[in-house]
Amino acid sequence: MGNLAALLPLLIFMALMIGIGFYVRRESAGTSFVKSYFIGNHNLGGFVLAMTTVATYSSVSSFVGGPGMAWQIGFGWIYMAVVQVTAIFLVLGIYGKRVALLSRRLEAVTVVDIIRARFNSDRLAGLAAFIIVLFFCATMTAQFVGGAKLFSAVTGYSYEMGLLLFGLTVVLYTAIGGFRAVALTDTCCALVMMAGIVMLLYYVLQAGGGYENIMATLHADHPEMFEPLSAGHMPLTLYLTQWILVGICTIALPQSVVRGISYKDTKGLHQAMLIGTVVVGFMNIGINFTGILAHGVLTGPLESYGGVDNIIPKTIVAAMPPSLVGFAIIGPLAASISTISGLLIVASSAIIKDVYLHAQKAKGEKVSDKKLRHLSMAATAAIGLLVFFIAVTPPSLIWIINMFAFGGLETAFFWVLLLGLFWRRANKAGALLAMAGGTFVYILPMLGKILLLITSAEWAASFAAALNWSPFGLHRIVLGLTVSLICFIVGAYKGKPTKEETLALFFPGR
Amino acid sequence: MTPKEKYRQICREAAATGLVLLLLILLWCALGFGLADSEVLIFGLPLWAIAGTLGIWLLAIVLTYLLVKFVFKDMSLSQPFVKNGKE
Repeated sequence: MGNLAALLPLLIFMALMIGIGFYVRRESAGTSFVKSYFIGNHNLGGFVLAMTTVATYSSVSSFVGGPGMAWQIGFGWIYMAVVQVTAIFLVLGIYGKRVALLSRRLEAVTVVDIIRARFNSDRLAGLAAFIIVLFFCATMTAQFVGGAKLFSAVTGYSYEMGLLLFGLTVVLYTAIGGFRAVALTDTCCALVMMAGIVMLLYYVLQAGGGYENIMATLHADHPEMFEPLSAGHMPLTLYLTQWILVGICTIALPQSVVRGISYKDTKGLHQAMLIGTVVVGFMNIGINFTGILAHGVLTGPLESYGGVDNIIPKTIVAAMPPSLVGFAIIGPLAASISTISGLLIVASSAIIKDVYLHAQKAKGEKVSDKKLRHLSMAATAAIGLLVFFIAVTPPSLIWIINMFAFGGLETAFFWVLLLGLFWRRANKAGALLAMAGGTFVYILPMLGKILLLITSAEWAASFAAALNWSPFGLHRIVLGLTVSLICFIVGAYKGKPTKEETLALFFPGR
Repeated sequence: MTPKEKYRQICREAAATGLVLLLLILLWCALGFGLADSEVLIFGLPLWAIAGTLGIWLLAIVLTYLLVKFVFKDMSLSQPFVKNGKE
């Protein structure tokens, strides 16, 4: 049944991650708690900054679902995935210095801190924190489930055991070590992800009888895989959607932007832009190319493997020698835990820093450092455990929310951050309308699906179908972003302008 | 740099980053869809499948390098805020 050899490398890797958590905690004793726990004391160097940004961004689906699709579609899928090489230099190039300077000036630790200060609005900050926690929890659940499924498919141990093994590990080291532990473990994760890709590629080539052999078979059996549109499997609209969803708009993801607060100096930032672009391209091209080459190992039709999500697990089992299977699953599991840890610490900061501490400050109450320390770790652990238990038997509601999480976050934060930080005229009314209106329009189909969970009446079905409408069949995010932008501009011209002292702080020199 | 100069510089950098994005989108269209009808094969792969993936990756690296080398400037992040943008 279970393959013990498959477990050992994984156990050692997880122990190392927990070790890093404890090490960071000891090392950072005696520094300002909130700053060190939630942002790592503005201390990251270029290499670690690059790795943590990439690792948080690359999820388990980039390692399992993505290459599975590449197996089915062919080179069009890599051509589409490669748009993600823009993600790292964009977010760091546009926001890296802006939020680094502002966070130091404002004593800000989170993206929500900066938004609150820019628009002088607690309501907006509260809404932002709510959106972050809701969508992050759904995303984390999906990461847990993806990782645990892969674990059980490859090792033969149960789903629950996989969850326990890596799920508790990630919750533990994140809760103990905070942001700096997240950044350091992310770096390890990114390195093992890359090593894992190289290893899998090597064994897939071997098991498939060599590169030329696999290519010859592909040309003969699947000529459509060598066309960009893959005989209609990759429509043009999908390319457009991907540019928006996983390319351009990723600059708005709070878990990426917050990394701009965390680094030490601009030299590091410049390095990170370069290293991050190298790494993200290597991973995306490498793993999807491996997915295509897996045709040399899995020669049957897709149905015989039970869907694209099973392609990579089955490839690992078929191509790798049993003694190395344990190393092969570290890569995808590392992708999963590095995304979870990055989201978990930001979700925790949203609750502790953006909601709790702010409320205490408004009441004029001081919170002792010791109490804060306990509360923060407890909050991180609590969110982590909540998601962990949801992941044991995830309800349909979570899957529905997860479908809308990525685009929902992008819709909520895209204009608020971009216009807020670079347009003087941006004001509270515009930002509130843009975040609430855009996100609402974006998630309408989600509300329709939730309604269908409650009742399956005929009126509900047609109502839900109506909520699904989108112009020209484009991805919903186009509609969400458009509505958000219109709301923002209307608010900016109709609402009250921002106070002069705030503007002087954000836009110096006028 | 004064806060005002820093802000100007940051806006310049952000705009240049946006331009690089635009350029990459155009290159991506040209090297992928633009070469889709070419009959040339490299390592058994059609030209577009190499140029539109590995090519775009390498171009992104080169453009990012040029960006941080020639547009981006080092600046101190910890300088305390001074009113009216004067040192």
